[in-house]
Amino acid sequence: MSAPPLPKRKVPFVEAIRERTLANGARFLVLENHFNPTVAISGSLNAGGLYAPPDRRLIASFTAGELAKGTARRTKLEIAEELESRGASLSFSAGSGDPVGVDVGAASLSRDVEILLDVLAEVLLTPAFPEEELEKERMRLVGVVREQQDQTSARAFEAVSRKIYPPNHPFHRRTAEERIAAIESLRRDELQRFYDERYGAGTLLLVVVGDVESGKILDGLERRLGGWRSGPPREIPRPPAVAPAPGEETVVMPDKASADVILAQPAGLERASPDYLPCVLANSALGQSSLTSRLGVRVRDTEGLTYGIHSGFSATHLGGPYAVSLTVKPESRDAAVAATLQEIQRFRKEGMTAKELDDEKTSHVGRFKVDLASNGGIAHAVDSAVYYGLGVAYLDEYPSLVEAVSKEDADACFAKRVDPDRFTIVSAGSFGGPEGSSVTESAVSSEGGSHSQTSPVP
Amino acid sequence: MESEVLNPRSTLEGTHNAPAVPEAFEFVREKAGIREWRLRSNGLQVLLLRNTVAPVATFAVVYHVGSRNEAVGHTGATHLLEHLMFKGTAEYDREKGTAVAAVLEALGARFNATTWFDRTNYYETVPSDRIEVALEIEASRMRGALLRDSDRVPEMTVVRNEYERGENSPFQVLYKETFATAFREHPYHHPTIGWRTDIEGVSTDRLKEFYDVFYHPNNATAMLIGDFEEADALALLDRHFGSIPRSVRPIPEVYTVEPPQEGERRFTVRRTGQVAWVALSWRTAAATDPDTPALAVLGNVLGVGLTARLHLALVEESLALSVTVVPWQLRDPALFSVFAPVRPGVETDAVESRVRSEIARVVSEGVTDAEVEKARTQIEAEVIFDRDSTDQVAASLSEAIAVADWGWYADYPDLVARVTADDVRRVAAKYFRDDALTVGLYLPKQVTGTGPAAPAPVSEVTGA
Repeated sequence: MSAPPLPKRKVPFVEAIRERTLANGARFLVLENHFNPTVAISGSLNAGGLYAPPDRRLIASFTAGELAKGTARRTKLEIAEELESRGASLSFSAGSGDPVGVDVGAASLSRDVEILLDVLAEVLLTPAFPEEELEKERMRLVGVVREQQDQTSARAFEAVSRKIYPPNHPFHRRTAEERIAAIESLRRDELQRFYDERYGAGTLLLVVVGDVESGKILDGLERRLGGWRSGPPREIPRPPAVAPAPGEETVVMPDKASADVILAQPAGLERASPDYLPCVLANSALGQSSLTSRLGVRVRDTEGLTYGIHSGFSATHLGGPYAVSLTVKPESRDAAVAATLQEIQRFRKEGMTAKELDDEKTSHVGRFKVDLASNGGIAHAVDSAVYYGLGVAYLDEYPSLVEAVSKEDADACFAKRVDPDRFTIVSAGSFGGPEGSSVTESAVSSEGGSHSQTSPVP
Repeated sequence: MESEVLNPRSTLEGTHNAPAVPEAFEFVREKAGIREWRLRSNGLQVLLLRNTVAPVATFAVVYHVGSRNEAVGHTGATHLLEHLMFKGTAEYDREKGTAVAAVLEALGARFNATTWFDRTNYYETVPSDRIEVALEIEASRMRGALLRDSDRVPEMTVVRNEYERGENSPFQVLYKETFATAFREHPYHHPTIGWRTDIEGVSTDRLKEFYDVFYHPNNATAMLIGDFEEADALALLDRHFGSIPRSVRPIPEVYTVEPPQEGERRFTVRRTGQVAWVALSWRTAAATDPDTPALAVLGNVLGVGLTARLHLALVEESLALSVTVVPWQLRDPALFSVFAPVRPGVETDAVESRVRSEIARVVSEGVTDAEVEKARTQIEAEVIFDRDSTDQVAASLSEAIAVADWGWYADYPDLVARVTADDVRRVAAKYFRDDALTVGLYLPKQVTGTGPAAPAPVSEVTGA
């Protein structure tokens, strides 16, 4: 049974989108959608943590976060008032998930789009990084880091990324104390220098979708951003490949009713790789959904050990880890980890069934369409396709690209990237003795045999 | 105002030339592009809103049953029942390989179900040529759930882990404790997830009884939002829901009323951690109360954006890491809440007294016209942004149905647009009284024993 045909978009994206690339390298794409009087902007520029010194990665997220905290002309609160009084929003963020890019996100009613573009250009071109705002942000961020230390998910994520990736790697995450020390010592001139060196039109991409006139938006963007420096080129230095470091770690946190468990290993799958779709389809069958994927059916639906279990590849410009994450009450951890590993082993050995592949294909094509049902969803999809070098045509070709994936491709890609015997397993929660106890025994040690169980699966 | 906000020009395109509607339905009314119909055979309320922004549609069914309808010993039953609705019905059964989730996932649907104080809702956003699958599933759920004990047993522990995850969150712990303290008689006292031992102890028979009392077409609203033709949609709805009988017995009403609070209440939760939280909540009104729009505007004035009063007073002054203001809108009178994680090194007293003084300032001096205008614009924009996607409209409409009726959703922008600074000051004076206040503190507990002192939990590495 193959996928039922889905209705086609009336106008292909390649025809509906208007595009302009300026001499300084800035690239703009606009799609008119007049159904609702709103506009969404999604974009990026290459100024993420990858480009900051390894021991000062947070300069990137700090710089992005401070852009709108004051400009040559206006204070933070004046800028915020301009946007908030119209129900508009604008954000810049550089997260650890994608070490390359700074994400740009904005939205407003379409009647306010010119003001939104004014503010966007003002904060991109003339940020002032006022010292008093920096000091407030340092104090707040130290608190935020401390708050994260109370979260089992954040602690498990930090521990697993430290265990897998060496200290200079962009996916390595420093300890809370190291991060606090870095935040407290961050100087204004470091932000200014990072901004001067990394921010420019050469890597700027902005996608505008909504109730607008495309010609007017393109002209407006050119008028506002055409004079900006080009800045650095689009090059993306690749960190050296990392080998798996199998092992286990338990982070003891008292008073936590639920524990977080992450099983991860470096997978090196990049978004633009031909392996991406086969790998993602295979993973969907194994663990993308808590309700319907193999891991969800076994560990949640059948055994009732978790509320949520998900697996996925981190695939951006850089190939990140493959990770399975789940929450359990502490006493259920060993059973849940054993069941998880058993399912991954079985999947790796047998591969997808023909029905799983068919279902995943219709699911991905259908979900793709459902996600394109809003201005924000369309803007994000266009932004991603261009940012990762796939091109706008990718959006039109996506259904046939998915349809073309064979079982052999999917099984082989997954087997190449994921080895069930090479996971790093980290748990964070109330394990071991009384609160404050500093020692715990991990019952999922490799000697325990849970890695190699081959008993039949119900 | 209303027409500009709620009648995007293409909403009704084509509906007037559509084929004749089935006899099975009676037309009730139309407002803001939403058309209400009633299925004559069983009283099912049906709402249709055409939105052709993309070839997708959201189908949702809201049942007028939530944790508000539960009592001692079976708290959490509504939510547990919602989970079991994914396990098996006569037509969609995991044991036959036709689980609801598997069928929907294969379509690429975005779907889920949620339970809250006043309602339970089920929804699926599907490609528009697969609308009928969503209707079949929801019709099957309405009276065909199998509710086997063999499904409840493993699902109970799934739900218990959901409860445990909530217990990890200071915000969730505080809000549960706030409602438990502010409400003693009304069932808003207990959280929707339920008390732990009720989740563990409730029997399958009790869940079945609950299902048989509340899951009927005359206690539900079905809504379809998106890319469809009205006559076709009504024909499908009749085909799948028309033969389901209305309930034999009337749906029981909740009659418990929380008496006025006669003095400030306080509670403290101490757990290991590094960051304290403060929560202040005042007893207010039901969603349908005429004061609700002014309280909503005040919520924005105090809590939305960097320029909101409490953000300026707490975050800009480095007292708190963030601040969340919630003017709860529920079927019965609820709360106006302020939650803030306290910046380490700052005393919780400093945050509590600053919130109280900002509230006192609103009561004594009121707010400015400019603040009210900004808040009204923000709320107007939120309503318009909702229309960007079918599932957001469905979500907002579901909440309106749960606490009032769908007309309230249609009227809401107008109600908000009429709020003045005087209204805000009046409602502030009426509700922000110390006698109606509940204050909650979440305090980091110092670790005792031989291990290292907080705030440095320990990592232990074992294995290869």
